[in-house]
Amino acid sequence: MSESTRLAAWRLGWIFGALLIVETSVRAGWISSFFLAAPTRAVIVLWQQLVHGNALVLTGITLFEIAACLAIATVFGILAGFFLWRYKLIGTSYETLLAALFSSPVILAYPIFLVTFGRTSAAVIALSSIFGLIPIVINTKSAFQNVNPILLQVGASMNLTRKQLFRHILIPAVAPTIFSGFRLALTYILKSVLGLEYVAQVGGVGMWLSDAAFKFEVEEVYAGLFGTITLSILFLYLINRCERWFRR
Amino acid sequence: MATARHDTSPFAAIVQTPLGVQALTLLGLVVVWECIGRTGLLFPDLFPSITEILQSLWTYLTTPVLIPHIKASLYEVGGAIALAALFGVPLGILWGSKQSWLEIVEPLILYAAVVPKIVIFPVFILFLGIDVHSKLAVGAIAAFFPVSLLTIAGMREVKKVYVDVARTIGATPMQIAKNVYLPAIAGQVFTGIRIGLGAAVTGALLAETKIAKAGLGFMIVEYYGQFRIADMYALLLFIFILAAIANWAMKSLFGALSPVSRRSGDAGMYF
Repeated sequence: MSESTRLAAWRLGWIFGALLIVETSVRAGWISSFFLAAPTRAVIVLWQQLVHGNALVLTGITLFEIAACLAIATVFGILAGFFLWRYKLIGTSYETLLAALFSSPVILAYPIFLVTFGRTSAAVIALSSIFGLIPIVINTKSAFQNVNPILLQVGASMNLTRKQLFRHILIPAVAPTIFSGFRLALTYILKSVLGLEYVAQVGGVGMWLSDAAFKFEVEEVYAGLFGTITLSILFLYLINRCERWFRR
Repeated sequence: MATARHDTSPFAAIVQTPLGVQALTLLGLVVVWECIGRTGLLFPDLFPSITEILQSLWTYLTTPVLIPHIKASLYEVGGAIALAALFGVPLGILWGSKQSWLEIVEPLILYAAVVPKIVIFPVFILFLGIDVHSKLAVGAIAAFFPVSLLTIAGMREVKKVYVDVARTIGATPMQIAKNVYLPAIAGQVFTGIRIGLGAAVTGALLAETKIAKAGLGFMIVEYYGQFRIADMYALLLFIFILAAIANWAMKSLFGALSPVSRRSGDAGMYF
Protein backbone atom coordinates (compact mmCIF):
# COMPACT_ATOMS: atom_id res chain seq x y z
CA MET A 1 0.00 0.00 0.00
CA SER A 2 1.46 3.36 -1.01
CA GLU A 3 1.94 6.14 1.55
CA SER A 4 -0.78 8.34 0.04
CA THR A 5 -3.29 5.44 0.02
CA ARG A 6 -2.49 4.69 3.64
CA LEU A 7 -3.04 8.33 4.62
CA ALA A 8 -6.29 8.51 2.64
CA ALA A 9 -7.46 5.32 4.38
CA TRP A 10 -6.68 6.86 7.76
CA ARG A 11 -8.60 10.02 6.89
CA LEU A 12 -11.61 8.09 5.64
CA GLY A 13 -11.41 5.93 8.76
CA TRP A 14 -11.60 9.05 10.95
CA ILE A 15 -14.55 10.48 9.00
CA PHE A 16 -16.52 7.24 8.94
CA GLY A 17 -15.66 6.59 12.58
CA ALA A 18 -17.11 9.97 13.57
CA LEU A 19 -20.21 9.38 11.43
CA LEU A 20 -20.64 5.93 12.98
CA ILE A 21 -20.57 7.43 16.47
CA VAL A 22 -23.25 9.97 15.45
CA GLU A 23 -25.36 7.25 13.78
CA THR A 24 -25.18 5.00 16.86
CA SER A 25 -25.92 7.91 19.23
CA VAL A 26 -29.07 8.91 17.33
CA ARG A 27 -30.32 5.36 16.73
CA ALA A 28 -29.75 4.40 20.37
CA GLY A 29 -31.60 7.52 21.47
CA TRP A 30 -28.59 9.01 23.32
CA ILE A 31 -29.09 12.14 21.25
CA SER A 32 -32.64 13.14 20.37
CA SER A 33 -33.46 12.95 16.66
CA PHE A 34 -35.11 16.32 17.18
CA PHE A 35 -31.60 17.84 17.26
CA LEU A 36 -29.54 15.49 15.17
CA ALA A 37 -30.43 13.35 12.17
CA ALA A 38 -28.72 10.01 11.63
CA PRO A 39 -26.18 10.44 8.81
CA THR A 40 -27.77 7.59 6.81
CA ARG A 41 -31.17 9.37 7.01
CA ALA A 42 -29.58 12.64 5.86
CA VAL A 43 -27.99 10.86 2.88
CA ILE A 44 -31.32 9.18 2.00
CA VAL A 45 -33.19 12.50 2.18
CA LEU A 46 -30.50 14.15 0.05
CA TRP A 47 -30.80 11.38 -2.53
CA GLN A 48 -34.62 11.69 -2.54
CA GLN A 49 -34.30 15.44 -3.04
CA LEU A 50 -31.86 14.90 -5.89
CA VAL A 51 -34.05 12.34 -7.63
CA HIS A 52 -37.59 13.49 -6.85
CA GLY A 53 -37.19 16.99 -5.38
CA ASN A 54 -35.62 20.12 -6.80
CA ALA A 55 -32.13 19.76 -5.28
CA LEU A 56 -30.57 19.39 -8.73
CA VAL A 57 -32.21 22.59 -9.97
CA LEU A 58 -31.05 24.42 -6.84
CA THR A 59 -27.52 23.09 -7.29
CA GLY A 60 -27.67 24.32 -10.87
CA ILE A 61 -28.67 27.80 -9.66
CA THR A 62 -25.78 27.86 -7.18
CA LEU A 63 -23.32 26.70 -9.84
CA PHE A 64 -24.62 29.34 -12.24
CA GLU A 65 -24.13 32.05 -9.59
CA ILE A 66 -20.58 30.83 -8.88
CA ALA A 67 -19.75 30.75 -12.60
CA ALA A 68 -21.17 34.26 -13.14
CA CYS A 69 -19.19 35.66 -10.19
CA LEU A 70 -16.05 33.99 -11.42
CA ALA A 71 -16.48 35.35 -14.94
CA ILE A 72 -17.07 38.91 -13.66
CA ALA A 73 -14.22 38.72 -11.16
CA THR A 74 -11.79 37.28 -13.71
CA VAL A 75 -12.50 39.77 -16.51
CA PHE A 76 -12.59 42.89 -14.34
CA GLY A 77 -9.94 41.62 -11.92
CA ILE A 78 -7.31 40.97 -14.58
CA LEU A 79 -8.03 44.27 -16.34
CA ALA A 80 -7.91 46.22 -13.07
CA GLY A 81 -4.78 44.38 -11.90
CA PHE A 82 -3.04 45.14 -15.20
CA PHE A 83 -4.08 48.81 -14.94
CA LEU A 84 -2.81 49.05 -11.37
CA TRP A 85 0.52 47.58 -12.46
CA ARG A 86 0.86 49.97 -15.42
CA TYR A 87 0.17 53.07 -13.28
CA LYS A 88 2.47 52.57 -10.32
CA LEU A 89 1.22 55.39 -8.07
CA ILE A 90 -2.42 54.45 -8.50
CA GLY A 91 -1.49 50.80 -8.06
CA THR A 92 0.33 51.32 -4.77
CA SER A 93 -2.44 53.58 -3.46
CA TYR A 94 -5.37 51.37 -4.42
CA GLU A 95 -3.78 48.12 -3.34
CA THR A 96 -3.93 49.34 0.28
CA LEU A 97 -7.54 50.45 -0.13
CA LEU A 98 -8.47 47.09 -1.67
CA ALA A 99 -6.74 45.19 1.13
CA ALA A 100 -8.60 47.30 3.71
CA LEU A 101 -11.90 46.66 1.95
CA PHE A 102 -11.14 42.95 1.80
CA SER A 103 -10.39 42.65 5.51
CA SER A 104 -13.55 44.50 6.58
CA PRO A 105 -16.80 42.57 7.07
CA VAL A 106 -18.25 43.77 3.74
CA ILE A 107 -20.61 40.79 3.56
CA LEU A 108 -22.72 42.47 6.26
CA ALA A 109 -23.68 45.07 3.65
CA TYR A 110 -25.77 42.46 1.81
CA PRO A 111 -29.07 44.26 2.57
CA ILE A 112 -27.85 47.14 0.34
CA PHE A 113 -27.49 44.66 -2.53
CA LEU A 114 -30.93 43.24 -1.79
CA VAL A 115 -32.39 46.78 -2.01
CA THR A 116 -30.52 47.47 -5.27
CA PHE A 117 -31.01 44.17 -7.09
CA GLY A 118 -34.05 42.80 -5.31
CA ARG A 119 -34.25 39.39 -3.64
CA THR A 120 -32.74 37.63 -6.63
CA SER A 121 -29.60 35.79 -7.66
CA ALA A 122 -28.33 39.11 -9.08
CA ALA A 123 -27.81 40.41 -5.53
CA VAL A 124 -25.81 37.30 -4.61
CA ILE A 125 -23.75 37.54 -7.80
CA ALA A 126 -23.05 41.28 -7.39
CA LEU A 127 -21.77 41.01 -3.81
CA SER A 128 -19.92 37.71 -4.23
CA SER A 129 -18.12 39.03 -7.33
CA ILE A 130 -16.46 41.65 -5.12
CA PHE A 131 -14.98 38.88 -2.96
CA GLY A 132 -13.59 37.20 -6.05
CA LEU A 133 -12.44 40.40 -7.70
CA ILE A 134 -10.05 41.62 -5.01
CA PRO A 135 -7.69 38.59 -4.85
CA ILE A 136 -7.54 38.50 -8.66
CA VAL A 137 -6.71 42.23 -8.85
CA ILE A 138 -4.01 41.97 -6.19
CA ASN A 139 -2.48 38.79 -7.62
CA THR A 140 -2.52 40.12 -11.20
CA LYS A 141 -0.75 43.30 -10.12
CA SER A 142 1.79 41.38 -8.10
CA ALA A 143 2.30 38.88 -10.96
CA PHE A 144 3.21 41.61 -13.46
CA GLN A 145 5.28 43.42 -10.85
CA ASN A 146 7.38 40.35 -10.10
CA VAL A 147 8.22 39.34 -13.66
CA ASN A 148 11.97 38.84 -13.83
CA PRO A 149 13.32 41.86 -15.80
CA ILE A 150 16.01 39.64 -17.32
CA LEU A 151 13.27 37.78 -19.23
CA LEU A 152 12.08 41.06 -20.72
CA GLN A 153 15.65 42.13 -21.55
CA VAL A 154 16.24 38.82 -23.32
CA GLY A 155 13.04 39.36 -25.29
CA ALA A 156 14.09 42.90 -26.21
CA SER A 157 17.57 41.75 -27.27
CA MET A 158 15.88 39.25 -29.59
CA ASN A 159 14.02 42.17 -31.16
CA LEU A 160 10.58 40.91 -30.13
CA THR A 161 7.74 43.33 -30.77
CA ARG A 162 5.62 44.56 -27.85
CA LYS A 163 2.91 42.10 -28.85
CA GLN A 164 5.37 39.20 -28.99
CA LEU A 165 6.90 40.20 -25.65
CA PHE A 166 3.45 40.24 -24.11
CA ARG A 167 2.39 36.92 -25.62
CA HIS A 168 5.57 34.88 -25.29
CA ILE A 169 7.15 36.30 -22.15
CA LEU A 170 4.74 38.25 -19.97
CA ILE A 171 1.73 35.94 -20.16
CA PRO A 172 3.59 32.69 -19.35
CA ALA A 173 5.46 34.48 -16.55
CA VAL A 174 2.37 35.91 -14.86
CA ALA A 175 -0.02 32.98 -15.39
CA PRO A 176 0.88 30.91 -12.27
CA THR A 177 0.46 33.85 -9.87
CA ILE A 178 -2.78 34.93 -11.52
CA PHE A 179 -3.99 31.34 -11.21
CA SER A 180 -3.28 31.46 -7.45
CA GLY A 181 -5.50 34.55 -7.28
CA PHE A 182 -8.11 32.73 -9.32
CA ARG A 183 -8.01 29.83 -6.86
CA LEU A 184 -8.40 32.16 -3.87
CA ALA A 185 -11.20 33.99 -5.69
CA LEU A 186 -13.09 30.77 -6.32
CA THR A 187 -12.82 29.82 -2.65
CA TYR A 188 -14.16 33.19 -1.53
CA ILE A 189 -16.92 33.20 -4.13
CA LEU A 190 -18.04 29.72 -3.08
CA LYS A 191 -18.21 30.72 0.58
CA SER A 192 -19.92 34.00 -0.17
CA VAL A 193 -22.51 32.55 -2.58
CA LEU A 194 -23.53 29.71 -0.27
CA GLY A 195 -23.51 31.96 2.79
CA LEU A 196 -25.55 34.71 1.15
CA GLU A 197 -28.04 32.24 -0.30
CA TYR A 198 -28.60 30.93 3.20
CA VAL A 199 -28.77 34.29 4.97
CA ALA A 200 -30.84 36.18 2.39
CA GLN A 201 -32.87 33.08 1.47
CA VAL A 202 -32.40 33.48 -2.27
CA GLY A 203 -30.93 31.34 -5.03
CA GLY A 204 -30.01 27.67 -4.75
CA VAL A 205 -28.60 25.23 -2.19
CA GLY A 206 -28.23 27.82 0.59
CA MET A 207 -31.88 28.80 0.23
CA TRP A 208 -32.93 25.15 0.45
CA LEU A 209 -31.00 24.82 3.72
CA SER A 210 -32.61 27.99 5.03
CA ASP A 211 -36.12 26.79 4.06
CA ALA A 212 -35.58 23.44 5.74
CA ALA A 213 -34.36 25.14 8.93
CA PHE A 214 -37.34 27.49 8.87
CA LYS A 215 -39.73 24.51 8.67
CA PHE A 216 -37.78 22.62 11.36
CA GLU A 217 -37.31 19.68 8.99
CA VAL A 218 -34.30 18.31 10.87
CA GLU A 219 -33.42 15.54 8.40
CA GLU A 220 -33.67 17.99 5.51
CA VAL A 221 -31.45 20.49 7.36
CA TYR A 222 -28.74 17.85 7.71
CA ALA A 223 -29.28 16.69 4.13
CA GLY A 224 -28.84 20.30 2.93
CA LEU A 225 -25.79 20.72 5.14
CA PHE A 226 -24.34 17.48 3.80
CA GLY A 227 -24.98 18.67 0.25
CA THR A 228 -23.41 22.07 0.91
CA ILE A 229 -20.32 20.56 2.52
CA THR A 230 -19.95 18.04 -0.31
CA LEU A 231 -20.25 20.80 -2.90
CA SER A 232 -17.61 22.93 -1.13
CA ILE A 233 -15.20 20.02 -0.77
CA LEU A 234 -15.72 18.94 -4.37
CA PHE A 235 -14.95 22.45 -5.53
CA LEU A 236 -11.73 22.68 -3.53
CA TYR A 237 -10.69 19.25 -4.77
CA LEU A 238 -11.27 20.29 -8.39
CA ILE A 239 -9.41 23.58 -7.90
CA ASN A 240 -6.45 21.71 -6.40
CA ARG A 241 -6.44 19.24 -9.31
CA CYS A 242 -6.63 22.10 -11.82
CA GLU A 243 -3.79 23.95 -10.11
CA ARG A 244 -1.62 20.83 -10.13
CA TRP A 245 -2.38 20.26 -13.80
CA PHE A 246 -1.80 23.94 -14.58
CA ARG A 247 1.56 24.09 -12.82
CA ARG A 248 2.91 20.98 -14.59
CA MET B 1 15.42 72.48 -26.60
CA ALA B 2 12.30 71.14 -25.03
CA THR B 3 12.40 70.82 -21.26
CA ALA B 4 9.97 68.79 -19.20
CA ARG B 5 7.88 70.94 -16.86
CA HIS B 6 7.41 69.57 -13.38
CA ASP B 7 4.66 70.94 -11.13
CA THR B 8 6.45 71.29 -7.83
CA SER B 9 3.71 73.01 -5.82
CA PRO B 10 3.16 71.52 -2.32
CA PHE B 11 -0.35 70.37 -3.31
CA ALA B 12 0.96 68.48 -6.34
CA ALA B 13 3.70 66.92 -4.20
CA ILE B 14 1.09 65.63 -1.73
CA VAL B 15 -1.24 64.38 -4.46
CA GLN B 16 1.61 62.45 -6.05
CA THR B 17 1.98 60.20 -2.99
CA PRO B 18 -0.06 57.03 -2.30
CA LEU B 19 -1.62 58.70 0.74
CA GLY B 20 -2.62 61.69 -1.38
CA VAL B 21 -4.22 59.48 -4.04
CA GLN B 22 -6.07 57.52 -1.35
CA ALA B 23 -7.34 60.72 0.31
CA LEU B 24 -8.38 62.16 -3.06
CA THR B 25 -10.21 58.96 -4.00
CA LEU B 26 -12.12 58.85 -0.72
CA LEU B 27 -12.89 62.56 -0.98
CA GLY B 28 -14.10 62.08 -4.56
CA LEU B 29 -16.33 59.21 -3.48
CA VAL B 30 -17.82 61.30 -0.67
CA VAL B 31 -18.48 64.25 -3.00
CA VAL B 32 -20.08 62.07 -5.68
CA TRP B 33 -22.19 60.25 -3.09
CA GLU B 34 -23.31 63.55 -1.53
CA CYS B 35 -24.27 64.96 -4.96
CA ILE B 36 -26.28 61.84 -5.78
CA GLY B 37 -27.86 61.88 -2.31
CA ARG B 38 -28.88 65.53 -2.46
CA THR B 39 -30.09 65.57 -6.06
CA GLY B 40 -31.72 62.13 -6.01
CA LEU B 41 -30.20 61.42 -9.43
CA LEU B 42 -29.66 57.72 -8.89
CA PHE B 43 -31.67 55.33 -6.69
CA PRO B 44 -33.03 58.13 -4.47
CA ASP B 45 -33.93 55.69 -1.66
CA LEU B 46 -30.58 53.95 -1.74
CA PHE B 47 -28.21 56.90 -1.52
CA PRO B 48 -29.09 59.09 1.46
CA SER B 49 -26.83 62.11 1.79
CA ILE B 50 -23.57 61.72 3.71
CA THR B 51 -24.72 64.33 6.24
CA GLU B 52 -27.78 62.21 7.00
CA ILE B 53 -25.57 59.14 7.52
CA LEU B 54 -23.16 61.08 9.73
CA GLN B 55 -26.08 62.40 11.80
CA SER B 56 -27.18 58.81 12.45
CA LEU B 57 -23.61 57.83 13.29
CA TRP B 58 -23.40 60.75 15.73
CA THR B 59 -26.61 59.53 17.40
CA TYR B 60 -25.06 56.08 17.85
CA LEU B 61 -21.94 57.58 19.36
CA THR B 62 -23.65 60.00 21.74
CA THR B 63 -26.76 58.10 22.88
CA PRO B 64 -27.12 54.68 24.53
CA VAL B 65 -29.36 53.42 21.71
CA LEU B 66 -26.90 50.74 20.60
CA ILE B 67 -25.45 49.76 23.98
CA PRO B 68 -27.49 46.52 24.46
CA HIS B 69 -26.69 45.47 20.92
CA ILE B 70 -22.99 46.25 21.25
CA LYS B 71 -22.96 44.22 24.48
CA ALA B 72 -24.61 41.25 22.78
CA SER B 73 -22.23 41.35 19.82
CA LEU B 74 -19.18 41.84 22.03
CA TYR B 75 -20.21 38.87 24.14
CA GLU B 76 -20.58 36.70 21.04
CA VAL B 77 -17.36 37.81 19.37
CA GLY B 78 -15.33 37.78 22.63
CA GLY B 79 -16.64 34.33 23.55
CA ALA B 80 -16.05 33.08 20.01
CA ILE B 81 -12.41 34.14 19.85
CA ALA B 82 -11.77 32.85 23.39
CA LEU B 83 -13.23 29.43 22.50
CA ALA B 84 -11.37 29.35 19.18
CA ALA B 85 -8.06 30.10 20.94
CA LEU B 86 -8.82 27.64 23.75
CA PHE B 87 -9.32 24.76 21.31
CA GLY B 88 -7.44 25.94 18.23
CA VAL B 89 -4.04 26.59 19.83
CA PRO B 90 -3.68 23.32 21.81
CA LEU B 91 -5.06 21.25 18.93
CA GLY B 92 -2.76 23.05 16.48
CA ILE B 93 0.21 22.30 18.76
CA LEU B 94 -0.88 18.67 19.12
CA TRP B 95 -1.43 18.11 15.40
CA GLY B 96 1.69 20.02 14.44
CA SER B 97 3.92 18.19 16.89
CA LYS B 98 3.94 14.90 14.92
CA GLN B 99 4.43 14.69 11.18
CA SER B 100 2.27 11.55 10.88
CA TRP B 101 -0.71 13.23 12.63
CA LEU B 102 -0.24 16.34 10.56
CA GLU B 103 -0.33 14.40 7.30
CA ILE B 104 -3.67 12.85 8.27
CA VAL B 105 -5.33 15.88 9.85
CA GLU B 106 -4.15 18.86 7.81
CA PRO B 107 -5.98 18.06 4.53
CA LEU B 108 -9.17 17.43 6.52
CA ILE B 109 -8.89 20.85 8.19
CA LEU B 110 -8.06 22.56 4.90
CA TYR B 111 -11.14 21.06 3.24
CA ALA B 112 -13.37 21.84 6.25
CA ALA B 113 -12.04 25.41 6.30
CA VAL B 114 -13.53 26.10 2.86
CA VAL B 115 -17.09 25.27 3.95
CA PRO B 116 -18.97 28.51 4.73
CA LYS B 117 -19.44 28.35 8.49
CA ILE B 118 -22.74 30.23 8.43
CA VAL B 119 -24.44 27.16 6.94
CA ILE B 120 -23.85 25.29 10.23
CA PHE B 121 -25.96 27.94 11.98
CA PRO B 122 -29.26 25.94 11.73
CA VAL B 123 -27.58 23.09 13.63
CA PHE B 124 -26.50 25.48 16.38
CA ILE B 125 -30.02 26.89 16.52
CA LEU B 126 -31.35 23.37 17.07
CA PHE B 127 -28.89 22.74 19.91
CA LEU B 128 -28.48 26.20 21.46
CA GLY B 129 -31.61 28.14 20.49
CA ILE B 130 -31.81 31.58 18.92
CA ASP B 131 -30.11 33.35 21.82
CA VAL B 132 -26.54 34.69 21.75
CA HIS B 133 -24.93 31.26 22.19
CA SER B 134 -25.76 29.98 18.71
CA LYS B 135 -24.09 33.07 17.22
CA LEU B 136 -21.13 32.65 19.54
CA ALA B 137 -20.78 29.09 18.28
CA VAL B 138 -20.78 30.17 14.61
CA GLY B 139 -18.13 32.80 15.40
CA ALA B 140 -16.05 30.23 17.29
CA ILE B 141 -16.15 27.71 14.43
CA ALA B 142 -15.26 30.47 11.95
CA ALA B 143 -12.31 31.61 14.08
CA PHE B 144 -11.12 28.08 14.92
CA PHE B 145 -9.72 27.42 11.43
CA PRO B 146 -7.33 30.38 11.09
CA VAL B 147 -6.20 29.92 14.71
CA SER B 148 -5.48 26.19 14.40
CA LEU B 149 -4.01 26.39 10.88
CA LEU B 150 -1.62 29.19 11.80
CA THR B 151 -0.63 27.37 14.98
CA ILE B 152 0.18 24.34 12.82
CA ALA B 153 2.15 26.64 10.49
CA GLY B 154 4.04 27.96 13.53
CA MET B 155 4.80 24.43 14.72
CA ARG B 156 6.13 23.55 11.29
CA GLU B 157 8.62 26.41 11.52
CA VAL B 158 10.08 25.28 14.86
CA LYS B 159 13.58 24.03 14.11
CA LYS B 160 14.14 20.44 15.20
CA VAL B 161 17.60 21.34 16.47
CA TYR B 162 16.07 23.57 19.21
CA VAL B 163 13.95 20.67 20.48
CA ASP B 164 16.93 18.30 20.29
CA VAL B 165 19.10 20.72 22.27
CA ALA B 166 16.37 21.08 24.92
CA ARG B 167 16.07 17.29 25.17
CA THR B 168 19.87 16.91 25.41
CA ILE B 169 20.02 19.22 28.40
CA GLY B 170 17.24 17.17 30.06
CA ALA B 171 14.20 19.43 29.61
CA THR B 172 10.82 17.83 30.38
CA PRO B 173 8.05 17.83 27.70
CA MET B 174 6.32 20.66 29.58
CA GLN B 175 9.53 22.70 29.70
CA ILE B 176 10.07 22.08 25.98
CA ALA B 177 6.52 23.22 25.25
CA LYS B 178 6.88 26.33 27.43
CA ASN B 179 10.43 27.36 26.57
CA VAL B 180 10.88 26.15 22.99
CA TYR B 181 7.56 25.73 21.21
CA LEU B 182 5.54 28.62 22.69
CA PRO B 183 8.08 31.42 22.03
CA ALA B 184 8.76 30.02 18.55
CA ILE B 185 5.12 29.83 17.49
CA ALA B 186 3.89 32.98 19.30
CA GLY B 187 4.02 35.15 16.17
CA GLN B 188 1.93 32.75 14.10
CA VAL B 189 -0.53 32.12 16.95
CA PHE B 190 -1.07 35.85 17.43
CA THR B 191 -1.60 36.31 13.69
CA GLY B 192 -4.07 33.42 13.78
CA ILE B 193 -5.99 35.00 16.64
CA ARG B 194 -6.07 38.36 14.85
CA ILE B 195 -7.35 36.81 11.62
CA GLY B 196 -9.70 34.66 13.70
CA LEU B 197 -11.14 37.81 15.24
CA GLY B 198 -12.13 39.05 11.79
CA ALA B 199 -13.70 35.68 11.01
CA ALA B 200 -15.53 35.68 14.36
CA VAL B 201 -16.93 39.18 13.76
CA THR B 202 -18.17 38.22 10.29
CA GLY B 203 -19.55 34.85 11.43
CA ALA B 204 -21.35 36.08 14.54
CA LEU B 205 -22.77 39.27 13.00
CA LEU B 206 -23.88 37.49 9.83
CA ALA B 207 -25.67 34.93 11.98
CA GLU B 208 -27.33 37.81 13.85
CA THR B 209 -28.73 39.10 10.58
CA LYS B 210 -30.42 35.71 10.06
CA ILE B 211 -32.17 35.32 13.38
CA ALA B 212 -31.49 37.07 16.69
CA LYS B 213 -33.01 39.07 19.51
CA ALA B 214 -30.18 41.59 19.82
CA GLY B 215 -26.83 42.53 18.32
CA LEU B 216 -25.37 44.85 15.70
CA GLY B 217 -26.10 42.42 12.86
CA PHE B 218 -29.66 42.11 14.08
CA MET B 219 -30.01 45.92 14.00
CA ILE B 220 -28.74 46.07 10.38
CA VAL B 221 -31.60 43.83 9.31
CA GLU B 222 -34.06 45.72 11.53
CA TYR B 223 -33.16 48.99 9.81
CA TYR B 224 -33.29 47.28 6.41
CA GLY B 225 -36.76 45.92 7.26
CA GLN B 226 -37.95 49.40 8.28
CA PHE B 227 -36.22 50.88 5.22
CA ARG B 228 -34.15 53.22 7.39
CA ILE B 229 -31.32 53.17 4.87
CA ALA B 230 -29.31 56.08 6.33
CA ASP B 231 -29.38 54.39 9.75
CA MET B 232 -28.30 51.12 8.14
CA TYR B 233 -25.33 52.76 6.38
CA ALA B 234 -24.35 54.52 9.59
CA LEU B 235 -24.45 51.24 11.49
CA LEU B 236 -22.36 49.49 8.82
CA LEU B 237 -19.84 52.32 9.01
CA PHE B 238 -19.83 52.00 12.81
CA ILE B 239 -19.15 48.24 12.55
CA PHE B 240 -16.36 48.73 9.98
CA ILE B 241 -14.72 51.34 12.22
CA LEU B 242 -15.01 49.07 15.28
CA ALA B 243 -13.57 46.11 13.34
CA ALA B 244 -10.68 48.23 12.05
CA ILE B 245 -9.90 49.53 15.56
CA ALA B 246 -10.02 46.01 17.02
CA ASN B 247 -7.72 44.75 14.24
CA TRP B 248 -5.28 47.61 14.74
CA ALA B 249 -5.31 47.18 18.54
CA MET B 250 -4.60 43.46 18.26
CA LYS B 251 -1.86 44.05 15.72
CA SER B 252 -0.17 46.59 17.98
CA LEU B 253 -0.59 44.47 21.11
CA PHE B 254 0.66 41.29 19.51
CA GLY B 255 3.44 43.18 17.76
CA ALA B 256 4.63 44.37 21.16
CA LEU B 257 4.22 40.94 22.79
CA SER B 258 5.63 38.75 20.05
CA PRO B 259 9.38 38.49 19.68
CA VAL B 260 9.07 37.87 15.95
CA SER B 261 5.76 38.72 14.31
CA ARG B 262 5.33 36.42 11.38
CA ARG B 263 2.66 36.48 8.73
CA SER B 264 1.36 33.68 6.62
CA GLY B 265 0.94 34.65 3.00
CA ASP B 266 -1.81 32.17 2.24
CA ALA B 267 -3.72 32.51 5.51
CA GLY B 268 -6.35 34.69 3.92
CA MET B 269 -8.23 31.85 2.30
CA TYR B 270 -9.36 30.31 5.56
CA PHE B 271 -11.68 32.98 6.88
